[in-house]
Amino acid sequence: MMDQQNNSRRDFLLTGLAVAGIAAGCNNKKDVFEAGAEDGAKASGKKVKLLSVDGEVIEVDEAFLKPVPHLPPVTNTEARIGIPGKKFVMVIDLSRCKNLKHCQSACNHAHELNPGENWIKVDPMKSADHAAPYWEPTTCMHCDEPPCVKVCPVDATFKREDGIVLIDSDRCIGCRFCMAACPYSTRVFNWGEPEIPAIVASQPYSAETSIPQKKGTVGKCDFCADMTRMGMLPHCVSACPNGTFFFGDINEDSVTNGAETFRFSELIRDKAGYRLMEDLGTKPSVYYLPPVNRNFPFESGLENDKAQNS
Amino acid sequence: MKPLNKILTGLLLVIFLAPGYNGFSQTAQKGSLSIALNYFTSNNQVPSLGVKVKTKVDGRFQNVGGVTMKLFLDKDSAGNFIGKVTTNDDGEASTYIPSSLKYKWGKSVKHTFVATFTGDKKYDAGSGDLTVSRAKILIDTASGRKITATVFEMKDTSWVPVKGVDVKIAVKRMGADLGVNDKPTFTTDSTGQASADFKRDSIPGDARGNITLTARVEDNDQYGNLSIEKSVPWGAKFRMLNTFDNRTLFATRGKAPLWLQLIAYSIIFTVWGILFYLVLNVFKIKKLGEESSSR
Amino acid sequence: MTKHKIHDLKYFKVENLIVNGAMPISKEQKKVTVINDAQIIADLLPQKFGKAGKIWVGVLIAICLVGAYAYYRQLRYGLIVTSMRDYVSWGIYISNFVFFVAISLVGSLITAVFRLAGVKWGSPLTRIAEIIAVAAIIFASLIIIVDMGSPERFYNLFIYGRIQSPIIWDVIVITTYFFISLLLLYYPLLPDIQILLRFKQNTGKRLYKFYGYIGSFWKGTPEQFKLSEKAINILCIAIIPVAFTIHTVTSWLFATTYRPGWDSTNFGAYFIAGAFLVGAGAVVVAMYVFRKAYHLEKYITENHFEKMGRILVLLAMIYLYFNMNEFLTPFFKMKESEAEYLNGLFSGNFAPLFWFAILTGMIIPTIILLFKKGRKPLPVFIAGIMVVVGAWFKRYLIVTPTLLHPFLPMHDVPASYHHYFPSWEEWAITLGSLAGAMLIITLLARIFPIIPIQETITEQHETAE
Repeated sequence: MMDQQNNSRRDFLLTGLAVAGIAAGCNNKKDVFEAGAEDGAKASGKKVKLLSVDGEVIEVDEAFLKPVPHLPPVTNTEARIGIPGKKFVMVIDLSRCKNLKHCQSACNHAHELNPGENWIKVDPMKSADHAAPYWEPTTCMHCDEPPCVKVCPVDATFKREDGIVLIDSDRCIGCRFCMAACPYSTRVFNWGEPEIPAIVASQPYSAETSIPQKKGTVGKCDFCADMTRMGMLPHCVSACPNGTFFFGDINEDSVTNGAETFRFSELIRDKAGYRLMEDLGTKPSVYYLPPVNRNFPFESGLENDKAQNS
Repeated sequence: MKPLNKILTGLLLVIFLAPGYNGFSQTAQKGSLSIALNYFTSNNQVPSLGVKVKTKVDGRFQNVGGVTMKLFLDKDSAGNFIGKVTTNDDGEASTYIPSSLKYKWGKSVKHTFVATFTGDKKYDAGSGDLTVSRAKILIDTASGRKITATVFEMKDTSWVPVKGVDVKIAVKRMGADLGVNDKPTFTTDSTGQASADFKRDSIPGDARGNITLTARVEDNDQYGNLSIEKSVPWGAKFRMLNTFDNRTLFATRGKAPLWLQLIAYSIIFTVWGILFYLVLNVFKIKKLGEESSSR
Repeated sequence: MTKHKIHDLKYFKVENLIVNGAMPISKEQKKVTVINDAQIIADLLPQKFGKAGKIWVGVLIAICLVGAYAYYRQLRYGLIVTSMRDYVSWGIYISNFVFFVAISLVGSLITAVFRLAGVKWGSPLTRIAEIIAVAAIIFASLIIIVDMGSPERFYNLFIYGRIQSPIIWDVIVITTYFFISLLLLYYPLLPDIQILLRFKQNTGKRLYKFYGYIGSFWKGTPEQFKLSEKAINILCIAIIPVAFTIHTVTSWLFATTYRPGWDSTNFGAYFIAGAFLVGAGAVVVAMYVFRKAYHLEKYITENHFEKMGRILVLLAMIYLYFNMNEFLTPFFKMKESEAEYLNGLFSGNFAPLFWFAILTGMIIPTIILLFKKGRKPLPVFIAGIMVVVGAWFKRYLIVTPTLLHPFLPMHDVPASYHHYFPSWEEWAITLGSLAGAMLIITLLARIFPIIPIQETITEQHETAE
């Protein structure tokens, strides 16, 4: 496939880069215009002349051609309601996790997090004394009965229609009750001034991007609400080279890790999916597939663990 | 002499190639860009070009925004100018083929798209290209929930079916599409057709049970990206159960459970009522005191 | 006892004399003659600070200033100056908060419960109790603001408050309790202000104006007394449920979470039992200090220490009972999530602190106070100090160990997150808050008579009859 891309026309250096780039980068094969078609744009009346595949000139309404722009963050009021008709769910396949922590670095990079503040943690777990250990990535569970939302005194953390639980850092008073209430220990706190570039820090806060983080407020995984609004997958899902994270809309009964797509109900049924700490009644939105027929031995992830957990 | 020959050859190779290798001559200040082009045709309507620009930083690829490039059809000349694009923050840009190139577009079935970047302060000049043949894809459904996708390519002036093209037939979902059965790809036969049986029974659709089927050719060497959609009523009717407005302990302040509000406010009202009364009492005592002193 | 007939009274010890169901009259009380009014007033009027008093106030102010500087650093750099991190996200600020709320219950115990139960000997202690309650509740609110990560958004609690949140319940109840305690301090103070205004020469000019502003309208007429008595009765009845609520709601800050050690149905009663105990301990300490500092031996007699000692024993036993319920039953079961936590307390990292708190806070004071010799003023004072110190560490043990045993392993975090020892800023602010509370108590005792003058006069008249 790569040969076709005219090596002779390229610089010596660019060839190598291009090959590596197309193979490695998180390519989104989506046609940028197609994504916008779902927005149901209304005809603007202004027509543009373009060439069709057949070589004919056709007129298309300009409004239908608009590519999905890099949507500006929605207002915090809209962010509190969410995307109607959707209910997001995540499935994590424990047999694929090798503790590579690409999910962690992609998430930290995308949300400009401080070092040590990991929204995704990959924990070594063992379900019983003689059971085999495995790596378990945890994100916020976006529970359907979230204990953190129940206890927030100022409505700074809230659950939306689409199931995502977000934090409004403009309202958070930093009491950390939500951190005490969360049984999954998924929330982190900005104890000091976040180390982010000034240009990011001066932006107004958007609850869907959770950028910029503010001193004295709580932060956590937000299921990349800004990405899902554009119909794209969260950064952790795209970043994992093993395809451990599956993400989708439970109302569509479909989850994908970017490369493979499964019917959610079938996946959970066939692989005996379960949720963490089900007995607490939090009704999490993240399902786990047991580490059956693992792809990698547990020990292969130990090396990567030392840097943060020596 | 043989070892010397080898050394000489090696040396010559290095001398010959070294100038082409910018990395040595630079003081590592200007980066180089990798420009990738992609060709999309959606619903056989209007073809578009997508450009992705990346640069290698510390061994990892990063998207580069704000790079302005010129796109040309076949040749890097003014008459073949497609358009000028600037990449956004994600390093992506896209454009359509303007109607002015109609004649040149119709002249041949195979075209090469060229993107050139003249270089700026941060990056060296560079270019990228992509060669595609014109093609289109059609989708059809038959009874028994059978889906057929047909791929055609342009030969001279007519559409000719193509054999051996990988087609993905799927149900359109959020994020990525769900294959209609467990087979990931279907290959077109000599009639250019690829068929699939729809096995996703009761997959949720919209309120009337409509789902959108898609047939795609992805990143084909010759044809680029082709896709087409069709809406069918094969899904289960979906009713959204919205619990957002329910009164719960985890709802917003305006949707607190009524029993909680009743208990809390009645207690507060009673106790603060008593306190208020007691404060009034102080003023009563004060009045009594003033009366008795005036007596 | 000898086998003399019951009407041969002279052979019975005076202490055992039971007449018409009244309490046995102690030797001491029978000996003491009724004090005249002028003497009472002279003894009980607030006195200027002596040298010791001035040094005391100076030291307290110094500690407060160091605390204020530490808080300035915290405001500037954020809570990162503390040692709290993502796992131990609540530290000694919160345990100090619980401690203050616990102590503030003393007001309702001594003033309200004693009064409603008709316990007369407790009346000299009511003002001390109320002053401690007011000071404690003020600093409870202040320390909770100190603990907030973004205190400049404090007003959000009132504009955006969610009635579903236990913190909002806590804010409401603390505010309510503050006002009730203030009123319960104020109403019985009115007759004393009249006396203070009468003896102008003993008070400074500014204080005189202040007294006049808050109570010059009190003339002591029967109508006024009737209204005041009614108000005080209502307050005493109202304050008890509010006091129970305040500490129950504070316990719910922990009990509404799932964590081991906090997920207990016992918490409300457990906290209240602890609160009464530490409140009684605090009153005993204050009693002794004021008695010595202001020479109040005639009013806070050895009998008061005897009685308070017995009450301390009773409260300590009740608290010990709740502790056993709280720890022995989970220990019997050793649930997976609780096992590490319990082992940590009984035999692990927290064991020295845990057993220290149990011994000093409950067991040793009980042993001291079980003996008659142990209920003399000095031993009771020492027992009181032990109770208060033990209680402070007990509150720390409620907050921190649970947070260090989360359900999921502590992982992918910097090493410092795995343990907690407060930083100097936290110590400075905590000690500053304790010093501040003691400063308020000292200053209120300077301004207002520490023992209600009018009540003492009235009671002396009653015993004379």
